[in-house]
Amino acid sequence: MDDGTRASHPQSASTFDVFLVGVGGQGVLTIGDILAEAALQQGMPVNFYPTKGMAQRGGFVKAQLRLGRDMVGPQIPEKGADLVIAMEQSEALRAVRYIKPDKDFFLYGHVWLPTAVLLGKAPYPKLESLAEQVQQAGAVFHYLDPEKRPLYEGALVPANVYVLGAVLGQTNLGRMLDTDAVANLVRDRWTRGVERNMRAFQAGIEAREDLPRLDKVVSS
Amino acid sequence: METKIISGNEALALGALVAGAKVLTGYPGTPSSGALGSLMVLGPDHPWRQKRWVEWSTNEKVAFEIAAGAAWAGHRALCTMKMSGLNVAYDSVISIAYSGCNGGLVIYVADDPGVSAGMAEQDSRGYALMSDMPMLEPSSVAETYDLTQVAFELSERIESPVFVRLVTAIANSYAPVRIEEPAAPPEREPILEKDIAKYTKAGSAICMAQHRALIARLEEAGRVIHEIGLNRLQLSSQAGGLGIVSSGVVSSYLEEGFEIATRYGFVREDVSVLRVTSSHPFPSQEVAALLNHCATILALEELEPHIERSIYVAAQRMGFQGQIMGKLDGLFSRIGEYSVRHVVQGLNAALDLSIPQDLFVGTGEAEQLAAQRPITVCAGCPHRGTYMAINRAIRKLKLKQDEVMVTGDIGCTILGMNPPFHTVWNEVSMGASISLAQGYVHGGVPTPVIATIGDSTFFHGGIPGLVNAVQHQVPLTLIIMDNGWTSMTGMQPNPGTAEAFQQLEGQRIDIARIVPALGVEHFYIIDPFDLDVATETVRKCLTLPGVKVVLSRQECTIPAMRRGLTAGRVRVEPDNCNLCQLCIMETGCPAIDIGEDTIVIDPALCYGCGLCAEACHRSAIEIEASTLIEIERS
Repeated sequence: MDDGTRASHPQSASTFDVFLVGVGGQGVLTIGDILAEAALQQGMPVNFYPTKGMAQRGGFVKAQLRLGRDMVGPQIPEKGADLVIAMEQSEALRAVRYIKPDKDFFLYGHVWLPTAVLLGKAPYPKLESLAEQVQQAGAVFHYLDPEKRPLYEGALVPANVYVLGAVLGQTNLGRMLDTDAVANLVRDRWTRGVERNMRAFQAGIEAREDLPRLDKVVSS
Repeated sequence: METKIISGNEALALGALVAGAKVLTGYPGTPSSGALGSLMVLGPDHPWRQKRWVEWSTNEKVAFEIAAGAAWAGHRALCTMKMSGLNVAYDSVISIAYSGCNGGLVIYVADDPGVSAGMAEQDSRGYALMSDMPMLEPSSVAETYDLTQVAFELSERIESPVFVRLVTAIANSYAPVRIEEPAAPPEREPILEKDIAKYTKAGSAICMAQHRALIARLEEAGRVIHEIGLNRLQLSSQAGGLGIVSSGVVSSYLEEGFEIATRYGFVREDVSVLRVTSSHPFPSQEVAALLNHCATILALEELEPHIERSIYVAAQRMGFQGQIMGKLDGLFSRIGEYSVRHVVQGLNAALDLSIPQDLFVGTGEAEQLAAQRPITVCAGCPHRGTYMAINRAIRKLKLKQDEVMVTGDIGCTILGMNPPFHTVWNEVSMGASISLAQGYVHGGVPTPVIATIGDSTFFHGGIPGLVNAVQHQVPLTLIIMDNGWTSMTGMQPNPGTAEAFQQLEGQRIDIARIVPALGVEHFYIIDPFDLDVATETVRKCLTLPGVKVVLSRQECTIPAMRRGLTAGRVRVEPDNCNLCQLCIMETGCPAIDIGEDTIVIDPALCYGCGLCAEACHRSAIEIEASTLIEIERS
């Protein structure tokens, strides 16, 4: 494909499409849910379409959040997402074809090995391959290192709230949705662990983008 | 009125409440479960449920008959199901369509184009065609709320049951909807109407009169739908251009598609659009107007070309000379979901816009690098023990797994098809495992034949198959995997669910009492966590004559864990573990990981079922403080 003539659709300033992927149990769908509520509070049209296959931990999960269109179909077309939020390194690959050129591809680099990989019977993709694919798609790769997830009172803060903060801090989504309003939604969502969640959210916002450690080989 | 983000399923259920539905029934099935499910979580005492009857029924046919009875008695009633459920209910649906109804009767059916939940990618609009019933197809979550209410009005006005059809993308989408507080259903005196000509099928005169009345009702539906303008036609000011016909969810992609195509010379004002909401009856007046006005027609609908075919018929009758584009000319496929890509592709083809082919073609290469993630059963799932017992029993008989037919059924029990078990061979429809197995026996399979089925599936459609096996004394082993819940669809209660979780005064029906009552001589109850006994029981059954039934019984781990239960506690003996990984290979349990020198068990995931300890040959996993839930044995 000739990069100079690559087909792309210019972004209309009032619309924003987010494609989320991860595995069951990470709270990916909760991120989408909170963002949808934030949009509603801002009076922005929204459609949120989560797909969780068979509901259980460790299965592929995806969700599509479409902001700003009065009449909108649930599906984001390939090369149509203004932002990808991926919470698992291998599942992130399934989102690459949805990212629009020049837009943000955000990875929280958690690794959740399927059994066959654990047993050495199947390969697991390296971070390098993902970065390469994202680059080929013409998107901007953002990486958040799961090992830097902070502790609160000795326990790791919830990954999804941490990621939510980081995405708002580092990508254009922060220009669409009001970060304080999202913070309030996070606070009100769980009656227990309010401080832990607020710590996670704030840490996410303040998180510096990590350089992907491309030499890091995660494979069987 | 308040604006809330709700799902398409909830919008449907709320629409039914606001419309005054008094009886609401269904059987769980993805993607439809969330409709009735949203009312179930409210609890029976919630004000929205006052003076209404809401139930998960034994199967969809039962559910529909209950709703129909209520509608015959003059009340409004809703019945919900996935497309496979409509296949089950249809025997009664078509019969009741011929009789008509008094109170409004709405069937909600959810189709799954793109197949996110498994099962046939069927287009249930074909059913509306066959039973001459109106079918409304909302294009969004918000429209679902409104159209469900319209469906009840329409049903009562024409005295016929009406379908509302959603697809997964709407049923499971969440969007803001302006909703009103549902009031209690209106007080109506129940009708007891004795009318043999209406309510029976006694004789050809009655049946043919009903057929005539059925067709008249559909025609009346067409008039009502036209009158209230459900199918929205917009004609361009200039004749001779393109006319677009879109239906259901596809209509929601039109504006986005127009916006994109505009950048390639498309002029919105030049096209005429018909947004079809009633796929049946066919909007013939609107289509005629479109055919009179346009030179080219572009039909945009998911799955089967139902509307497109009817357009061809209308075109032929009107002597339309232009082109009709859609599926029948090969432009679009009958497979999968539509998105804005199809709108743009259609505009491109119809108007020759030179939109780049790769506009919506991302790189598929990346996805091929992703690790396969076959779905397995949860940590602590009792089915794991049953699969392990079946596999071990087969090996004990010196047979290979590829030599022993194990028929499968619908629900979580089918996950035994996946690694590491590879136990189950096939999946057809609710209850089919037991009858399929009989066919294999009659087919002369020389090895023992096993059928597997879950508890809810057994109640739903498995019992007739077992009755048949007993009557004809067909040698097979039926393993009923009873975890007490309808788990795959989100842990709904079923007839076998413990009394404490039955709705209102519901009574539990014990499978352990059904099976012997059918005259099954060899009946055993096993605990799937007690692997040795379970294996020996299955092995013995495979050598016995006649019908053998094994009831493998432990509660589904998810509701059990939510109530704070565990089966025991498991501990790794680091000195004994040599990382042979046998435990992972045999159980595939997601709670087990590989650590530096030993395997590691995630205490947050582990239910303490102890199956990994049974798989270990080196006593590297110990079961501590085993508090296995007592299984009643017969």
